[in-house]
Amino acid sequence: MKVDNKVDEICELPTPKRDTELRQVWRHLRRNRLAMIGLGVLLVFLLCAIFAPLLTGYDPIKIDLGNAFKLPSTENLLGTDWQGRDVFTRILYGSRISLAIGLISVTIGMLIGVPIGALSGYYGGRFDLFIQRIIDILIAFPGILLAIVVVTVLGVGVENVMIAVGIASVPIYTRLVRGSVLAVKEQGYIAAAKALGIGDFRIIMRHIMPNCLGPIIVQSTFQIATAILWAAGLGFLGLGAQPPDPEWGAMLSKGREYIRTAHHLTTYPGLAILFMVLGFNLIGDGLRDALDPRSRKHK
Amino acid sequence: MKKYLVLLLVSIFAIGLLVGGCGPAEDVVDEVDDVTDELEDVVDGGQDLVIAIGAEPENLDPLKMMSAPAATVAEHMVETLIYLAVDGSLEPALAESWEPTEDGLAWDLMLREGVSFHDGSPFNAEAVKLNLDRFMGKGDFEGEAAVYAFLLSEVDEVEVVDEYLVRLHLNQEFAPIAAHLSHSFIGMHSPASLEALDAGQYVEAPVGTGAFKYAAWDRGEQIVMEKNEDYWGGAPELDTVTFKFVPEASSRVIMLETGEAHAIMAVPPTDIERLNDLEDIDVVFENSVRVIYMGFNMEDEKFEDVRVRQALNYAIDKEAIIATTFQGVGEPSSAPIVPAVFGYTKVGPYEYNPEMAMELLAEAGYADGFDIELFHPTGRYSQDATVTEAIQAMLAEVGINATLTTYDWGTYLDTVIVPPEQAEHDVYMLGWGTVTLDADYGLYALFHSSQWPPANNVSYYANADVDALLEEARVTPDRAVREALYSEAIELIWNDAPWIFLHNEGQVNAVRSNVKGLIHHPLENILAWDASIE
Repeated sequence: MKVDNKVDEICELPTPKRDTELRQVWRHLRRNRLAMIGLGVLLVFLLCAIFAPLLTGYDPIKIDLGNAFKLPSTENLLGTDWQGRDVFTRILYGSRISLAIGLISVTIGMLIGVPIGALSGYYGGRFDLFIQRIIDILIAFPGILLAIVVVTVLGVGVENVMIAVGIASVPIYTRLVRGSVLAVKEQGYIAAAKALGIGDFRIIMRHIMPNCLGPIIVQSTFQIATAILWAAGLGFLGLGAQPPDPEWGAMLSKGREYIRTAHHLTTYPGLAILFMVLGFNLIGDGLRDALDPRSRKHK
Repeated sequence: MKKYLVLLLVSIFAIGLLVGGCGPAEDVVDEVDDVTDELEDVVDGGQDLVIAIGAEPENLDPLKMMSAPAATVAEHMVETLIYLAVDGSLEPALAESWEPTEDGLAWDLMLREGVSFHDGSPFNAEAVKLNLDRFMGKGDFEGEAAVYAFLLSEVDEVEVVDEYLVRLHLNQEFAPIAAHLSHSFIGMHSPASLEALDAGQYVEAPVGTGAFKYAAWDRGEQIVMEKNEDYWGGAPELDTVTFKFVPEASSRVIMLETGEAHAIMAVPPTDIERLNDLEDIDVVFENSVRVIYMGFNMEDEKFEDVRVRQALNYAIDKEAIIATTFQGVGEPSSAPIVPAVFGYTKVGPYEYNPEMAMELLAEAGYADGFDIELFHPTGRYSQDATVTEAIQAMLAEVGINATLTTYDWGTYLDTVIVPPEQAEHDVYMLGWGTVTLDADYGLYALFHSSQWPPANNVSYYANADVDALLEEARVTPDRAVREALYSEAIELIWNDAPWIFLHNEGQVNAVRSNVKGLIHHPLENILAWDASIE
């Protein structure tokens, strides 16, 4: 028991250092103007998603045919659509769908991809070979295509899009984590931990994974952007959210019919997708610089 | 660039003359004619007409045809015995005249002489018998009958009297027989082409007598047909006619504006005004004989209660859909058939009254509403998906939560026109054009209990009183009596509400102004045999 305690103490030593590291990252990030713009954009979307009912008096689903095709005005900030629904309201509520798809699908991808990658990298050998060949096959498909295949099998709908996009991002995480694990596991302190008789599980969780966190966080930020784009693409193709859900891709697709007479039905959902994806990409760029100790020192 | 092509062709011609030396004089004249024709084609851009429509024919075999897109395409290649003209009159086509025998139990069809099929074989009484037998699944074709075989259900036997005289023997007097023979699905195909088919194989490249010959069918893309030089009615001016399948209405409009298509069907209502203002485009308004409806799956226990079915009729604001989604083109349905059809009686529309709808639902024990699966096509009918979305929202107002499912047209038909035990839908959207302009076709086919899928009573409606009225009306020669019988049947059907009665379609097509002679038919066909490009 005593030995175990000591080991725990040793393991927890880096904790205070991590705190200061977090602070360093934040300090660095704060100086990055583009990343801050990205963060601001995302915060706006997040607030819109959470407080949508407070920001608008309209219902995103309820139709009002008498008010269809209204151009943007003080009454309907971004106009109304073919069923007389307020476009601004639908975009607000749509940010809920997009953020949810982004976050949940990335979580799914991470939950599956990270452990597989870690085990594959840590154990190596035949197991690694087997897993990596499967990943090769998955990577051979463009992600959106893989997602379309999965949706076709599971059926259309927001939930299935989350799963599909999640599965499509598994190979990315597996590769990323395997690479990091391969680099870390050769370090002296891992050999030391092994020599102390610490179990594989603990070594992976306590000593290897923390060192892979940086790349995972950065990749996740980009991956959320990609997931949102893929989901909008699936919605555009009619494979994602189904009517009457105010999903941006679906709004864009349907709005195209009226692009010659009521362009606001495509312009604004398009801009919403653009800004959200841009936001995640900017913050991802910033995080990548901030989490890399070398680039921190350079500046 | 065309200039260079002309120069090139002229020089090839000149070299050909030089090399060929002095042939017989007539040959040279022919050659000159041929080359001149070719040059003209190159110079005027040719007479190649492109029409963009929303849905692809599900099939071109008379046994399997089910929709107006199939009819539109087929009519260019394959002709019927009788032609229903734009004004609703029956005109001679492959039959020059038709009349009943004295007792009304047989009809004599005098056939047009000197007509031949695209494969060169002659059109005659034998060919008619073979085609009709195959359609009915009788005689040599015992077994599979056409989906639309009910059109000829009263025909007992087809007799070849002489080479150009056919006698149809009926089971009993059948009033609408001539109108039924005008149906586009009863087209005359070359006997050789039909006999060449194996069991379970269907016509893919029709060989008919029409003004155009089949050239190619790229699935999902287009069907190309070329001029029949030997057409009995005189060769058409157009060299080719191409039907392109473009489900998205806005894409069709863009094709028209860029000149990629010469004519399009089903112009989106929001584009009508804009297109009307364009100089080189004409917008054509034409009536339609089509009603659009949402049918209930009446074998579903939710829809067993007539109050529920009526409630859903009261829940839909047809006027608002017409005013907004169709920008005023069309009208709410006031009967299961449109006013232009013989036998029509005005019984509706169901007024928009959501309170009444909720009361009726509560009475039927559905105060909290229920969930339904609603299936609809996209691109087949004008604004079909948009209308469905509006209906979904209106149903939600009375507590009914509809999940929408859509497929491309062919798959859609295969999915909803199925026996009750295979039905995945609770409610489905379809339209029906009474293309014979006789109520028998609009009512018998959709509401008689003998017409459950694979035929067209997709709601599984069965009412013995309606059955009896429809049966009597189709064998009664007296028009006034028939009218009274149909009126009674329509009243019963309306109150039984096997559908949510939606609207009578209006047709809006658009054509480039340099195209002349296109026929816009109330049967929702665009016909190009008299057309030309200026």
